[in-house]
Amino acid sequence: MEPVPSNERRLVRARSTLLLLLPGLAFLLVGFLLPAVAMLFAPPGVTFAQVIERMGAMLTDPYDLGIVWRTVRIGLVVTAVCVLLGFPIASLLARSRSRWAGVLLALAIFPLLLSNVVRTFGWLVVLGSNGVIGQLLTGLGLVEKAPQLLYTELAIVLGLVQLFLPLAVITCYSAVAQVDPGLEEAARGLGASRTRTFWSILVPLSLPGVVVAATLVFAGSVTAYTTPYLLGGSSQRMLSTQLFSYASVTVDWAAASATAVVMTVLVFLVSGISALVGRKGAVS
Amino acid sequence: MSGTRLRHPVAAALAVAGYVIMIVPIGFVVATAFTAGSTLRFPPEGLSLTWFGEAVAYSPFMEAVVSSLELAALATALALVLGVPVTLAVHRGRIPGRGLLEGLFLSPLVVPELVVGLALYQQLMIGLHLDNFTTLLLGHTALLLPYAVRVTGASLALADPALEEAARGLGASPVRAFFTVTLPMLRPGLVSAGLLGFVTSFNNVPLSLLLQTRDFRTLPVTMLDYVQQSYDPMVAAASTLVLAATVVVAVVAERTVGFAKIFGGINR
Repeated sequence: MEPVPSNERRLVRARSTLLLLLPGLAFLLVGFLLPAVAMLFAPPGVTFAQVIERMGAMLTDPYDLGIVWRTVRIGLVVTAVCVLLGFPIASLLARSRSRWAGVLLALAIFPLLLSNVVRTFGWLVVLGSNGVIGQLLTGLGLVEKAPQLLYTELAIVLGLVQLFLPLAVITCYSAVAQVDPGLEEAARGLGASRTRTFWSILVPLSLPGVVVAATLVFAGSVTAYTTPYLLGGSSQRMLSTQLFSYASVTVDWAAASATAVVMTVLVFLVSGISALVGRKGAVS
Repeated sequence: MSGTRLRHPVAAALAVAGYVIMIVPIGFVVATAFTAGSTLRFPPEGLSLTWFGEAVAYSPFMEAVVSSLELAALATALALVLGVPVTLAVHRGRIPGRGLLEGLFLSPLVVPELVVGLALYQQLMIGLHLDNFTTLLLGHTALLLPYAVRVTGASLALADPALEEAARGLGASPVRAFFTVTLPMLRPGLVSAGLLGFVTSFNNVPLSLLLQTRDFRTLPVTMLDYVQQSYDPMVAAASTLVLAATVVVAVVAERTVGFAKIFGGINR
């Protein structure tokens, strides 16, 4: 075989690399990138200036601002609850030697495969007007009339915690699993209490993973649609349900695009901050 | 250390609360599906399979099942066929800006799906008059590309490039080396990405929400719409059937690549 001159080989290599990339790149451009950019600059019959103007109006109008604030508030509460419940589950499972730990881990991961719609329907049965909690409270004679639980922020928070807790568990689990158990044993051996070991060894060492978990949960919560639609109704609008209403009920493209931008910026902002925090944590 | 001994009681209580929130509502859906009564309530009024029969006979649901299966299968296959070459180019090709390129292919994970759905609706369906099936297929494929690239990439990173070089050195063409050496090494990644992609597409609501038409509707959106109109146990029965199918998928996942591994791949 004749040795191929290296320049030519490099060219062949570059060309074949390009050939491998092109089909995927084409789909990515048509199915995602170009429409996303075009939406901002040219919604049907609307100019970029109008989108910007509508965004400005949104951030000053009390109703719209209320929706932004509710979205952020719900996102923060759900994130806090998911970390508070998810980290204990992850650390118990990662440190357990019981054979039940595998089953419990699978049980925590399984909901990730299950439709969000199916998972959220359960809350209609639990929180609805004929729901389990309402019946329980009236049955026990604690209240005269079942309280309104559905279509409240509490309902949305519960639904979103159910949705995103599995994500928090597996992300925290891989963080905890990477911490050497020998360190905890050493701390215990040196006389640290179990609580002290948890707070001064396990928590700081798995913190980067917890930050990732919190970011994923927050981003998921502020963009979720099914949960606020089913459990919040029209009285507890979040950015997602409001966006849908602008796009398909009132067909107000400027408002829909403006809402989309606010939602995306919110997610990018939080992801950016968490990436910075993560990097700083890795350096120190 | 403490082994199976119960840890701190506060931690244990929080963990139990977490499991209750994750699992119990699903149990109520199943329980209400078997009711003989006509409202979504617990405890069910008598036991019967009536609502399962109703759900299976309800043509909007059945048509939507077929549509969703078709869309998920096609989008997953396309994402793998397009994604594996990208993975090869990113990991094996000598190209500048490799990190940037990989980031580009992961970018659909970062933008809210509802926003992508709005963009596709405005620009492709209204702007370019594409039909909704084509638009859904484009959107779902782009959404699944990150899974295909990242999960198969994790498999490829574990595969030894020396094996491919050996095959090439022994005279195999690049194509032959790929199909006989590289592809078998990618199998766990392909199965993981395929399962994850299929389930993601089948269950998707936010991206598909604005891209529905009377002719082609996906199942989760059809179920959402149904609940808005009538509040009867048929939707619980349909949900229970979806749950049963998901359990089957989970068992297949566990038997082939291992459950935890599938989801481990996407977070790293």
